[in-house]
Amino acid sequence: MKKTMLAALTMGVFSLHAYAADTVKIALTGPFTGGSAPMGVSMRDGAKLAIDEINRAGGIQVGGQKMKIEVIERDDEAKNERGALIAQELASMNDLAGVIGTVNTGVVLAGDKYFQEKGITKIITPAAGSASMTQWSKAGVKDLSIFRFSADDGIQASMVVEEAINRKLKKVAIIHDSTNYGVSGRDDLLNQIKLQGNKLQVVATEKFNIGDKDMTAQLLKSKVAGAQGILIWGIGPEMAAVSNGMAKLGMKMPLIGGWTLSMSNYIDNAGKNGNGTLMPQTFIEDPITPKARSFIDSYHKAYGVTRIPSPMSAAQGYDAVYVFAAAVKQAKSTDTHKIKEALEDLKEPVKGVIATWKHPYAKWDPANEQTHEAFRRAQVVMGMVQDGRVVFANQADRLRLMKNAGK
Amino acid sequence: MYTLLIVQMAVSGALMGLVYALIAYGFQLTFATSKSINFGQGELVMLSAFFSLTLIDVGLPYWLVVPGGMLFGVALGLFVERAGVRLALEQKSEGWILLTIILGLLGFSAAENIWGRDDRPFPTPIPSDPLHFFGIDVTPLELSVAIGVLTVMSLVELFKRKTLLGKAFEAVSADRDAAQLMGISATRTIQLSYGLSGLVAALAGILVAPITTVGPTMASALILKAFSVAVVAGLDSGFGIVLIGLFLGALESLTSFYLGSGWREAPGLILLILALAVRPNGVFGKASIRKV
Repeated sequence: MKKTMLAALTMGVFSLHAYAADTVKIALTGPFTGGSAPMGVSMRDGAKLAIDEINRAGGIQVGGQKMKIEVIERDDEAKNERGALIAQELASMNDLAGVIGTVNTGVVLAGDKYFQEKGITKIITPAAGSASMTQWSKAGVKDLSIFRFSADDGIQASMVVEEAINRKLKKVAIIHDSTNYGVSGRDDLLNQIKLQGNKLQVVATEKFNIGDKDMTAQLLKSKVAGAQGILIWGIGPEMAAVSNGMAKLGMKMPLIGGWTLSMSNYIDNAGKNGNGTLMPQTFIEDPITPKARSFIDSYHKAYGVTRIPSPMSAAQGYDAVYVFAAAVKQAKSTDTHKIKEALEDLKEPVKGVIATWKHPYAKWDPANEQTHEAFRRAQVVMGMVQDGRVVFANQADRLRLMKNAGK
Repeated sequence: MYTLLIVQMAVSGALMGLVYALIAYGFQLTFATSKSINFGQGELVMLSAFFSLTLIDVGLPYWLVVPGGMLFGVALGLFVERAGVRLALEQKSEGWILLTIILGLLGFSAAENIWGRDDRPFPTPIPSDPLHFFGIDVTPLELSVAIGVLTVMSLVELFKRKTLLGKAFEAVSADRDAAQLMGISATRTIQLSYGLSGLVAALAGILVAPITTVGPTMASALILKAFSVAVVAGLDSGFGIVLIGLFLGALESLTSFYLGSGWREAPGLILLILALAVRPNGVFGKASIRKV
């Protein structure tokens, strides 16, 4: 409570400065309460860590002047309609440099059109649903101000299928939630299975609703059909129910799914039943490089935790701010249109905690969404839940990242 | 193999159904004495679960948390009676419907503000590794739900039948005015029934929380089902409520297996509509004679 008061006060002080036009105004949006909160809060806190670092160093060099970053926070509560309202509100501000955030793909779909209409630069992170970007390519938009900074579901689904094949599974069940995110995840999985040579036979496709706690029916159907592993797409609490249900029914088989399996509310609610769960990760809370160590330490210290609720959301929020700041510096302006152009052609590499970002984006091409996607397969590793934490599933990845950092 | 599967589904479902029955029993307790129902019963379940979780957080052992949570439930039940029901009953109005709903909503926002909106695990010393009975997997957690529900319901029934206070309870539910003429305080008895209904709500919350996790919305799905159970069984048969609870739980589970998981909620609603249309007093209910 004291913290929020303090935050409110600081915000008040900041907003006095707003008219002075000596700040770079960035909005952070996401669900800071509710089931998706671990992702939203981690993203926000990671981003604010970066912002604090930049401000403490005097701010961003914009042309001849150093400008501090001013933050506007909005909690969309993972609700599409709130997301749309927030997007309208932010899009109506005429001095906004850009927007970073949004966790839920549904919220992205409800709100981003307002940013695009006004040409406001937005970096989506950590929402991963494919539709967030394909909505623009399908519409044939010529000039896009929306960028993404997260491993999209396409990459993730391919890794999930790859992992299942590597584990010599032949028959799998797909279980997914009934939201936009879950359904598009299922389609990505089916598509990837086809692309990777139909080596997996899908013996059951089952869904569940947000809030469901009893997954016995879905799991028994999978079991009866002879599934050797479960591929899953959903968010934390319900996936924990799946994991607990598997333990109850004695289904000792791999559970592989989207990165959301690393959410703290999955890990906590599944407890020891979560051990061994596999999911793609862009960042693992393991201080393997000096940069990672300092990021993890400062996060723990700043927010009084011993475990980041969603480490990759935090790391992505952190890196996204640095990428954005680099674009502001290159644009020599706080004008959101100029920042967009700079983002599409970043000259200087940006040293982040996940990777060193060399030219992450290119000029938008509606035929190729990758132009506005920062992540490639190489930036993503397989993570595994072990005793309440996410660790590297493959030592090879860990060693590779350590080696890369040494270069 | 296949029959075993059906039995497994039915058993898992039926054990959850007992939780519906326990919450429905809470409806029944207050309806018997006052012909009123606490529409915020779900929030009572949730608030008591959160309160118990807080007791665990401060380090109380589980075996003290259970009675602690139940006492909290009793207090909440009494509060609902005092703040929402008594005034309306005194004025012979149906105001308790809105008042209990409003109290429920208040409880919900209070929970969101005090404990946050996240679902949190509810630690329990009861192991979660499954036990096998004739090829069927049952977790000790599920068994604890069954044992807890049946024990508390039997105790309350015994109390109603064997003690003097319980007799007063029965008398008030049979005929409030006559009981009052005989010197039984209807107000006291209604208070008692709300206290007991808070107690069973709290127990339902504590028992089900390790399975469902604790969050502000944890009871919203349960409460609708409990309501169906109460109406289908009839609002005056404790035994009937257990049977219908078991039946609905098993039916839900089988429906979601055969028709798909999206249909899980359907049986409860269909049964509710059928009961209201065909047997408004419930399957086990007594048809009351209304003298005009």
